[in-house]
Amino acid sequence: MYKIRQDEPDYAFIADAAAPECNRYGKPIQLVDEGDVLAGKSLHINGDPSVGGGADRYKQHGFYFNADNCIACHACESACSEKNDLPPHLAFRSVGYVEGGTYPSYQRLNISMACNHCDDPVCLKGCPTRAYTKFAEYGAVLQDPDICFGCGYCTWVCPYNAPQLDPVKGRVEKCNMCVDRLEVGLKPACVAACLGNALDFGVIETVPQNRDQKKLRIPGFPTPDITQPNIRFQQTRTLPREMTRPDNMPLRYQRQGGVTGEYSPKVATGQDRPGWNLKQLHTREDPLVVFTLLSQAVVGAFMVLFLAALFAPAFLSPAENPLAYGLILGGLIVAQTGALALSTLHLGKPHRFYRAFNNLRYSPVSREVAGIALFYNLLLAYTLLTVWPGLSAVLPGTMANSLTTFAGWGAFIVGPVAIYFMYRIYRIRARPFWDHWQTLSSFMGSVMSLGGTVGALFYTYLLAPSGETAPLLLAVLALVVALGLALEGVGLICHRRAMHNRGGEGAASQYVQASRFGKTYRTRNLTMLLVIGVMAVMMFNPPASWTAVLLWWGVFGLVLGMAVTGRALFYALVVPTTLPRAFFWRNAGFESHARQTGLAALPQVGVIADSH
Amino acid sequence: MLLGRKHKNPIKIADKGVVDWKYTTCGYCSTGCSIEVGLNEKGEAVTSRGVGSAAVNRGKLCLKGLFEHELFRTANRGRVPLMREHPHDKFREVGWDVSLTRVADEIKRIQKQHGRDAFAIVSTGQIMTEEFYTLGKLARGVIGTNNYDGNTTLCMASAVSGYKRSFGSDGPPGCYEDFEHTECLLAIGSNLPEQHPIIFWRLKQALEKRKFPVIVVDPRVTMFAQMADIHLPITPGTDLVLLNALAHVILDEGLEDRNYIAAHTQDFDRFAELVAQYDPVTAAPVCGIDEDTIRNVARLYARAGAAMTIWTMGINQSTHGSDGVVAINNLNLITGNIGKAGGTSLSITGQCNAMGTREWSACSGLPGYRSLENEEDRKTVADYWGIDAEFLPPKRGLFQTDIFPAIESGQIKGLWLVATNPMTSMSHTARIRKTLEKLEFLVVQDAYSDVETNEYSHVYLPAAIWAEKEGCFTNTERRVNLTRNVIAPYADSKPDLWIFNAVAKHFEAGKKIRFPDTAEGVFDELRDLSKGRMLDYSGMSYAKIEQQRGIQWPCHEDAETGTPRLYSDGVFQYPDGKARLIALPFVDNNERPDDAFPFWLNSGRVVEHFHTRTRTGKVGNLNKFSPTPYMEMNPDAAKALGIEHGRYARLSSRRGDAVVLVQLTHRVPPNMVFIPFHFHECANRLSLGLLDPHSRQPAFKHCAVRVEAAADQALAAERNMNARTY
Repeated sequence: MYKIRQDEPDYAFIADAAAPECNRYGKPIQLVDEGDVLAGKSLHINGDPSVGGGADRYKQHGFYFNADNCIACHACESACSEKNDLPPHLAFRSVGYVEGGTYPSYQRLNISMACNHCDDPVCLKGCPTRAYTKFAEYGAVLQDPDICFGCGYCTWVCPYNAPQLDPVKGRVEKCNMCVDRLEVGLKPACVAACLGNALDFGVIETVPQNRDQKKLRIPGFPTPDITQPNIRFQQTRTLPREMTRPDNMPLRYQRQGGVTGEYSPKVATGQDRPGWNLKQLHTREDPLVVFTLLSQAVVGAFMVLFLAALFAPAFLSPAENPLAYGLILGGLIVAQTGALALSTLHLGKPHRFYRAFNNLRYSPVSREVAGIALFYNLLLAYTLLTVWPGLSAVLPGTMANSLTTFAGWGAFIVGPVAIYFMYRIYRIRARPFWDHWQTLSSFMGSVMSLGGTVGALFYTYLLAPSGETAPLLLAVLALVVALGLALEGVGLICHRRAMHNRGGEGAASQYVQASRFGKTYRTRNLTMLLVIGVMAVMMFNPPASWTAVLLWWGVFGLVLGMAVTGRALFYALVVPTTLPRAFFWRNAGFESHARQTGLAALPQVGVIADSH
Repeated sequence: MLLGRKHKNPIKIADKGVVDWKYTTCGYCSTGCSIEVGLNEKGEAVTSRGVGSAAVNRGKLCLKGLFEHELFRTANRGRVPLMREHPHDKFREVGWDVSLTRVADEIKRIQKQHGRDAFAIVSTGQIMTEEFYTLGKLARGVIGTNNYDGNTTLCMASAVSGYKRSFGSDGPPGCYEDFEHTECLLAIGSNLPEQHPIIFWRLKQALEKRKFPVIVVDPRVTMFAQMADIHLPITPGTDLVLLNALAHVILDEGLEDRNYIAAHTQDFDRFAELVAQYDPVTAAPVCGIDEDTIRNVARLYARAGAAMTIWTMGINQSTHGSDGVVAINNLNLITGNIGKAGGTSLSITGQCNAMGTREWSACSGLPGYRSLENEEDRKTVADYWGIDAEFLPPKRGLFQTDIFPAIESGQIKGLWLVATNPMTSMSHTARIRKTLEKLEFLVVQDAYSDVETNEYSHVYLPAAIWAEKEGCFTNTERRVNLTRNVIAPYADSKPDLWIFNAVAKHFEAGKKIRFPDTAEGVFDELRDLSKGRMLDYSGMSYAKIEQQRGIQWPCHEDAETGTPRLYSDGVFQYPDGKARLIALPFVDNNERPDDAFPFWLNSGRVVEHFHTRTRTGKVGNLNKFSPTPYMEMNPDAAKALGIEHGRYARLSSRRGDAVVLVQLTHRVPPNMVFIPFHFHECANRLSLGLLDPHSRQPAFKHCAVRVEAAADQALAAERNMNARTY
């Protein structure tokens, strides 16, 4: 048990306050009854079997933040880091701010935020390893770093940036609500440390002494709809109509209506001129650029090869060309193996990769991994059966044939389904730029354009030496490529419109795309149009022989370059619905500056150089 | 497990394995928080927490205190004494005996060749009271130099001077508990939430119980200014005009406390005559505060049953800092707000033991608020120490800020620096470098071997830090509090007390005088020397201090505890027992923006750093909040100059230039930029630091600069990086 001091000050103890039956989301605040099987259990904190807590142990608790009072003294975040023994680059709680007005009628609103131990914990649902648990005790959402394999997906889905991916330890850690302190009736360390009398803690929907409000929104706080967070606010001072952020996110917050109106995020324009900024396309998600594109290319290429094998002229069939098919299918397997290896190594703890399947029930990551794994195995089986006649020979009767058909059609169906689950991963409300069907059209577009190009290259190689032709096949492949690109193009147009209409973080991403990466983005899209045009010409005048090989190589280069740029932009552009940061601390702009200039090499700067 | 696993691993929460707690007092600022340092089984300091029953902080700590245990093992602590022939040579590691022999020999040589005062000592506000007293005994009674001062000249000298001029003695008359009683708080040039967060919390606690008006005077819209009921965004350097105007309104409208003035003050007429010239109409355009607001504030303050003023560097670091303090005292004297609950002039002190050095170091006088100028004081101290009273000079020597020019011009040849870093802390860095180069002999005694001033030293003495030692600090409200020894000094570093005692042994005179070995032994001398005086320690002991979590002096011999306020009886320290009302004409002699240098440069502090960052710059969990120098600039002004948020800008003044990252914010007016002064090779490359005529404190707070976007951002980044590397 946590030791209470003899001289523990009164303010450190959780106050008794009568809570309503249900919270504002309509859920009971009492999470389980005293008689429930879940009640009366020990939390086994550091192996301690004792059972602590008072009458409110099974009620949902939450932080209370009086934004009028916060002075940004960092005592809360420091008390947290000190208690949890965190290195400088991590923090379970962070203080940021928004500011507005002109001198001297200037106001700054500081926001201290940790985990909100949400009613709908998207981190828990998203985690493929099931490292998260929402406890009946205090409603705490706790994460077990010993289960986590460091994929960082929870850090994407959480709108508050509560889970912290530690690149050094290769795993996520987060606020533990100081349940050890709660068990003895003490408020969390951050609350007890607050010097502005801003932070408080208690049963949710109760209001601390001397406070009036229990608001769910303050400027800069993301919409509570996403996760139903267990935090309540007071904010009574009238703020300027417009508040800006000190970090490099191109966002500002604008109040609609009178002083009681809500603030909503808007794009802060005027920061960047249209540019290339190719270096900034590199992010820590680079391996995912490769993984997603390779997987999409492999699925697409397999689908093309499989269908062509069924419908193309017989002289192009696998039976006639075992070596060539062996090479291309082997190539696809190597590519997919490489992609899987890369995505595994992208994990903080690659040796725990097998835990990816733990949460098929909720996590799109688990489903995607399962889909890709299934596709991979079916592809493997199909390839073996197709290119290894010896295997067919040992199998009885028509079994080899049925198996080939099963594996082929299986992979043909599972492949795109896996890509669909891959897309589901990105439907994250906390990342509005991704949260649109355009992500699917882009992924499927890549399946078609990359798959079509690879297929076309394969067949032109197959055809070139013999001088034979297959104009219809190549025309169809050109059409597939063109349609894939067109699909992506249509998606981009609709996406742009949707982001613009939605405003906020999505529109901010769009703005960055049009400004900081404006030249890159435009060039990429012009290339896309160019390739569509080339495809149209090649559909009606299919080139033959080595000319075809050469031309398709050219097309492949363009399609690949475009795909890589597009995907890199996809990861680089996303503006999450995180809270405002400070000028240095947690400012992505300063962090990248520190990495570029070498300041990050000094441990006391608190910015860790990306380890991936 | 509403959602998630049925079978869970035990919850793991960091457990630092504390087996023992040791009582200390924070070694950063002068708030005086009690800290318990937790030791694990191996005896390593692993955690810090505020003492729950502490009189000052009541369980709370600011972020610096929360990580204070990390100081013991921060990077670049001094391990062993270092020595070299010339500053351009490489250091050799030597033993204590070799290094101290050299120190003593050089002191003797310089004093013999150039006179006793050609060797100067500049100390600090950072070490323990017992160490200050011992250093004073060594400097005054053994070495015998009159050029001995502390770096408190850079922070609190104006408060000292102002208190002496008004009340006849140094000593802040109020306490934090006054927040609980005051009916009006005026804060001038104090950014409490940032510089003294725990004192701010005490204020906040008082305000939660009972609302009273808070008036903040600051040219910048700090968090304190934002929380204030009334914010006066004053024109830099014009506080004296505002204070005179407030007094004008009070006298003009008959709001003064006539009985108090008659009974307890002197020189009212001359004072009244002077403030008559500062009517709000005349004052408003000078200080930038409109006439109505001046009148409103004056009435509010004078009509409050009890009103108090707090201030920090915004007043002290000015060309008329001492006058500013006196003007605050004037305001409180004419309204009868001295020595009563909720009515006071409370300077919020900077360094953890700035008060201790004022009381006991014998820098500006003799121990126990005695003066060199007073023959009786000289005799008392000389007799107590067992030296000839004639050995003590009849007049104090140079202030710290006059010692450096005397080195520059050759009167002083040798210098001993104790826990101070003039290379970062003093104005006009280029001039300080040139000055330090001229020394024949420089000893740097510091806990960190990378303290920038060490670049110019001949001998470096590694000192123990904070709770590696034992002793007392006095805080802002005169509370003497104790630091117990927590762990052994790092490597071969030694407590400052040990170093002073060891140096004394190298002098013939030092062998004759008693230098107690333990801090507690020294403390007994303080009790003897303070008995019956204003700063009476005689009722204190280490055990009693720890038990009461600090005791406010005076604590008389048989008293149960200390005294929260001074002058409650209306008797001041002047021989006639009356305070002085002093006429203060405003002379505007500081640099002001002009066409060539159109911006005010305003300097100040941030919560995560302490002074020149020798400590906080190495604690990652503090330093990360501002790891590199930056400037707050108004977006409108920046736009006109093509300066962008998050990029580098170059500032230049008549003294030098500096490169900073730009943070655009409306917190500052269009004609002002703000830079935290903590960073080496930054604000003080630009600052002028004209000296106050009374306190000799530099006017760090403002000067005039030009600002431009750094033409080559990559080069600016490289230069900045270079200056941060250690």
